Amino acid sequence: MTAAPMTVRICYLYPRLLSVAGDRGNLFALMQRCAWRGIRYSVTEADVGVVPDFAETDLILLHGGQDREMTAAAQDLAAKSGALREAIESDAVVLAVCAGYQLLGRYYAPPEGPPIHGIGVLDVVTEGGPKRFIGHVAVHCDLGPGSQHRLAGFENHSGRTYLGGNVRPLGRVLAGAGNNGEDGTEGARYREVYATYLHGPVLPKNPWLADHLLSRALAHHYQDVSPLAPLTDRAEVQAHGAALRLARRPAGRWRAAAAAVSRIGPPARMPATRPAGNARTTDKVTGWTSR
Amino acid sequence: MQSEHQMQGEHQMQGTRQVQGTRQVRVVTSPPAVTSGGGSAPLPPSAQARLALALAAGKAAEAASKALRAGGGTSFPGTVAHRIDPHILRKIAAASDAGKVVVTGSNGKTTTCRMLAALAQASGLTVTQNRSGSNLLQGVISAAVRGADLRGRLDAQLLLLEVDEATVRQVNPQVRPHTFLVTNIFRDQLDRFGELYSMAKGLEEVIEALPASATVVLNGDDPLVASLAPAARARRLYFGIQADSAGLPEPEHAADTIRCVRCQHPLSYRAVHLSHLGDYWCPECHSARPALDVAVTEVRSSPEAGSKITVQTPQGAFPLDVPLAGLHNVYNAAAALSCAIALVLPRPLEPAGARAALARLRPAFGRLEEIQAGDRQVVLAFVKNPTSYNATMREVLQRPGRKHVLAAHSNTVVDGEDFAWLWDVDLEQLVPRLASLTVSGTRAEEVMLRFKYAGAEPGSTLVIHDRAAALRAALTRTPPGESLYIFAGYTPMRELRSIMQRHAWVSPFWEE
Repeated sequence: MTAAPMTVRICYLYPRLLSVAGDRGNLFALMQRCAWRGIRYSVTEADVGVVPDFAETDLILLHGGQDREMTAAAQDLAAKSGALREAIESDAVVLAVCAGYQLLGRYYAPPEGPPIHGIGVLDVVTEGGPKRFIGHVAVHCDLGPGSQHRLAGFENHSGRTYLGGNVRPLGRVLAGAGNNGEDGTEGARYREVYATYLHGPVLPKNPWLADHLLSRALAHHYQDVSPLAPLTDRAEVQAHGAALRLARRPAGRWRAAAAAVSRIGPPARMPATRPAGNARTTDKVTGWTSR
Repeated sequence: MQSEHQMQGEHQMQGTRQVQGTRQVRVVTSPPAVTSGGGSAPLPPSAQARLALALAAGKAAEAASKALRAGGGTSFPGTVAHRIDPHILRKIAAASDAGKVVVTGSNGKTTTCRMLAALAQASGLTVTQNRSGSNLLQGVISAAVRGADLRGRLDAQLLLLEVDEATVRQVNPQVRPHTFLVTNIFRDQLDRFGELYSMAKGLEEVIEALPASATVVLNGDDPLVASLAPAARARRLYFGIQADSAGLPEPEHAADTIRCVRCQHPLSYRAVHLSHLGDYWCPECHSARPALDVAVTEVRSSPEAGSKITVQTPQGAFPLDVPLAGLHNVYNAAAALSCAIALVLPRPLEPAGARAALARLRPAFGRLEEIQAGDRQVVLAFVKNPTSYNATMREVLQRPGRKHVLAAHSNTVVDGEDFAWLWDVDLEQLVPRLASLTVSGTRAEEVMLRFKYAGAEPGSTLVIHDRAAALRAALTRTPPGESLYIFAGYTPMRELRSIMQRHAWVSPFWEE
């Protein structure tokens, strides 16, 4: 380990355009987990029209957005794609979520309108589907020997992504839909790119993934690094456990009953506790998407 | 000068808007007949019998749940009645000559409805409404059942319904409102509504289905709302804030829809009032905020006393006192006044009467509601999306001193499953001012995690799932004479309030 404090150089792409569901929580997780360890970090925000120096970047965040924000991002990303591709080929670390994931692939064909072209660094294609996959997800991830983890989070996407030759899935779906609701895969990996449909704050409640990205980013900056100092992750572990339990609840109408039974701690003792809607199904706009 | 130029540009782009802007005093040509009794053609006997049975069962369910003190029957009677007669809402609405108003949007529905009810009552109307904010189909039907007699006739002259943004697609065709209000569209429960734009699309279909005799009241300061269904037949009425003193220089982080709806170019703002609400224009295609029919031209706010505002309307100027703090309540008042103007009232709305009616208003339950809890005070704040959380938090932080806080969220059909939006709330502003923090609800772990990354000390934070125990612990940590601030989602807010109700610190929300 070098004596001087190390620095992780983070590039946060499209902080305003692609940030739909608390995605900035991923940035907060990386920043805090650096700060708690005395690791320095810099954050460069790059919105439309700004091409950051990807060669001087260790960790790139590219998040989700709705179809029309994604279209705007795709147009702008075309101008950034050469440098971004080079950075990825030289093992800069990337976390790509939802639309960000699709934009690293070859194309996303929405249900209406022309296809949106990605930069194609990931050999994946995405087709719009008739039904949105919305719900809790649990994924088994294998990051190498001795590094098996469960990824927990929430997905909300209508795109179905199919993996091609140069990528591996990020993991296998234990609950939820994942890439396409068909083949049991979730996300994609290529070099140090980690792409997923788990939107919003996936890193805070999966601290193992946050730390994996940080250590790979430090490896990118300093070639050789020692393991990260451990942190007290009690809140993280509890939130991760709670998210896994939500993902593994039984589907459909039994969900409410099962949730009531498995609820941690005694239920609050007042008649009005029963939420006005739990026993009701007619008002539900979107179904529980388990497979 | 620049704004004038922009407005002219806007008028050239859209001829219809020019007509809008110049029609200063408009006469409602097809007013809702606001008289009781009467009604449309009688139902066949079997349909009438089914309706009577559903009404009787619904009323019995309401009486039973009140007797058992099981939540005041804000949705259970509707569930029962709807099970017996699926067409009950359509039948009650069709049988009544009451004026019908449906209010939807992300934020401000409940408070706006209370304001509108106060204005309508000041003009001599009797009102049936789903006052406690139970705004899914069963809550709406419960209100209709409560307001109707056993033949399905409404006693009241105004049926005022706040309806969830997704449920409105079911409710509107049945109720056929004379006035339809969209308060604003913020990101709110994307796990239920899919994407923001698909929700907007749903609202467009609802607006397009309105007849030419109806009025759609739209927030002109919300770029997405103002652009809804431009070709719809219904008369359009735009409200907004035209007082530059009230604005911020640029949108805050949680702002949605800050790109031009027409050409996708980022919007410019002459003034930002709240999140993405403000006086906007597009530098690319020169579209801009529409001319406002009801414009708040003066705002003088204080954190304790609310706002003194002046509103210019087609019926003249209304100086009003909004007793509820925050600019969001200025929007709510402008929205309510717009609806009151769209309706034809038995007595025309008098500025003095409107002012007195609004000034008497108490916060809706859970809207920074102040509750005396023994020798401590509780301030109960219902928060459901980044915008409402940020606005409420800003009001709380205007009050001096460190804050004892209880934060609670639960996943339910009403509150949604996905709490990712908590990461869009600027809790970093609250954490340095914390005196103590307790988190609760079925999603307490998620709330804890968010506060930890906002800088809260996990070691000194209590995580207590049970709401009653959490409230007890949080109050114990609050010294006598001080305030406990509760930030909670809908379901935990209702639960915490009913705990306080059992302590007789607060009256039941259905008696509010």
